[in-house]
Amino acid sequence: MSSRSAWRALHYSAKRRAFQPPTPYRCFSCTTRAQSKPEDERMTHFGFTNVPESEKETRVGAVFSSVAASYDRMNDLMSLGIHRLWKDHFVRSLNPGSCLPALTADQRGWNILDIAGGTGDIAFRMLDHATNINHDMETRVTISDINADMLAEGRKRSLDTPYYNTNRLSFVEANAEHMPHIPDASVDLYTVVFGIRNFTDKQAALNEAFRVLKPGGVFACMEFSKVDNPVLDGIYKRWNFSAIPLIGQVVAGDRDSYQYLVESIERFPSQEEFRGMIQKAGFMIPGQGFENLTGGIAAIHKGIKPIVKA
Amino acid sequence: MAHLARTLPRRALPTQLTPYLRRAQALSTITIQPTPQRTRPTPTPTPNQPKTPLAQLRTYHSTLHPRLPDHEYTNSQTAILTAALDHVPAHGFTSTALTLGARDAGFLDVSVQLLPRGEFDLILFWLASRRGLLRGKVEEGGLFRRIAAEKGKDVYELGVEERVRGLLLERLRMNDEVRHVWQDALAQMSLLSNIPLSLTELHALASDILTLSGDASVDAAWYTRRLAVSAIYASSEVVMTRDPTPDLSETAAFVERRFEDRQAIADKFTGLGQCASFGWNTAVGLGRSWGLKI
Repeated sequence: MSSRSAWRALHYSAKRRAFQPPTPYRCFSCTTRAQSKPEDERMTHFGFTNVPESEKETRVGAVFSSVAASYDRMNDLMSLGIHRLWKDHFVRSLNPGSCLPALTADQRGWNILDIAGGTGDIAFRMLDHATNINHDMETRVTISDINADMLAEGRKRSLDTPYYNTNRLSFVEANAEHMPHIPDASVDLYTVVFGIRNFTDKQAALNEAFRVLKPGGVFACMEFSKVDNPVLDGIYKRWNFSAIPLIGQVVAGDRDSYQYLVESIERFPSQEEFRGMIQKAGFMIPGQGFENLTGGIAAIHKGIKPIVKA
Repeated sequence: MAHLARTLPRRALPTQLTPYLRRAQALSTITIQPTPQRTRPTPTPTPNQPKTPLAQLRTYHSTLHPRLPDHEYTNSQTAILTAALDHVPAHGFTSTALTLGARDAGFLDVSVQLLPRGEFDLILFWLASRRGLLRGKVEEGGLFRRIAAEKGKDVYELGVEERVRGLLLERLRMNDEVRHVWQDALAQMSLLSNIPLSLTELHALASDILTLSGDASVDAAWYTRRLAVSAIYASSEVVMTRDPTPDLSETAAFVERRFEDRQAIADKFTGLGQCASFGWNTAVGLGRSWGLKI
């Protein structure tokens, strides 16, 4: 509940900040004006409300800190368990791990970077797939998340997996828009699952992904998207805006976080727009570029970093 | 006379047409040539519209338009697929061959994500590239001369039927090196989600074979001939996978028999048609003799 009060505090302080005195305080002897916010700061959306770019990060942080503990249970309830099928399909289609003997040191195991994968949902699935399906004991996953609470949840869960305390699994707290600790061209597979929606500057994150990937490396992203069937869309919207905040209130005791969740889903660009953003970052698009899941409720986007021939 | 005919583009010279063309050339020096100004701009896909392999932009053959590429894979995809084809005889049409191909082309193991259909992309690429090779062999001119030499004829004496048969056998022989893994490929192609693209490719092959052979039918025969060639090719492929002879002589004999069957069926239908029209004429004549106003 402390996180909830933190969220409330943020919420109210944001409101208070919007208040402006009728006559500006002009005083040359103090720095009040210098302390006040510049008016022309770039705005970004936080659900359906607009907030300054500098504020979105903390707000999203507060949301996910408050939902970290009940994350899995809530996902099951909100998606009726379908999110597990999506995640399994995502990992199976990527087929992580090489089943062939490596010829060079570079080919030994994949270096996977799982962005916004705090609770380890995708990371553990990928390691399991590499180990059990492809018999690849070298593939390693770095879980990167901006939120310490989500990472803590992932660390806790990793205790039950065989990868705990091995060099195949590591946790990093970082902002995906700027990752100076990861060298250029060092990652085989970059995944971000249900995360990129919350980034302040999505294009910057895509550019950073392009930088850290090896030539030939793959950017794979699963995110909520636009439903193409109008009937399904109607049902889906009704579920989103009526049921999910209610479930959030009853189960997690936090309506506002889940209200933000559905609003951020609504604001996320369509399949075609997001494909354009991936292309803009420099990636090659295989085939159609995206794969709709459950009629477009979620979509898998892929991009491949081209090889530059010397 | 033959040298006059040889100056024309060979594709515009189906065998039945050559006597008429020769006569026309003897009468006047006007040659029928495609006018480049009349080419319609081919619709190019906008960058927003991603290319899918085998997406047909134009569904008809025309000598006035430049030929469509055999496949629409991008350069990187083609590099991986071409390299992967070298591994097909050893590993079959599998993801292993694809991964090895990606490594050979300088990509990573993960780069096979570039091919969303996986193994089926490899099969489609094999089909499309072999189809392109067949066309290349015909267009450089050597293939029909060889087929004619085998039969002890001049190349201009070859009938459409003989050309079709020759091309079909030639295409089957291209599958010789992957004969032992071709059943797996056929199984992949017959999966429900893969059937539409497999049939498109089969039609493209039948259409190519007939066009290259100089078939100029524009009536219902256009459909029946493509259907016949597709059926013969598809069944011969299955026979070929079980053919123990090293030179595919059993398959060749099978193809020969199927063409005879085709001829027999065609004769039956012609006979039935004649019989029906005779019956109809008789009935009309009989009716008129009875005073009916027909």
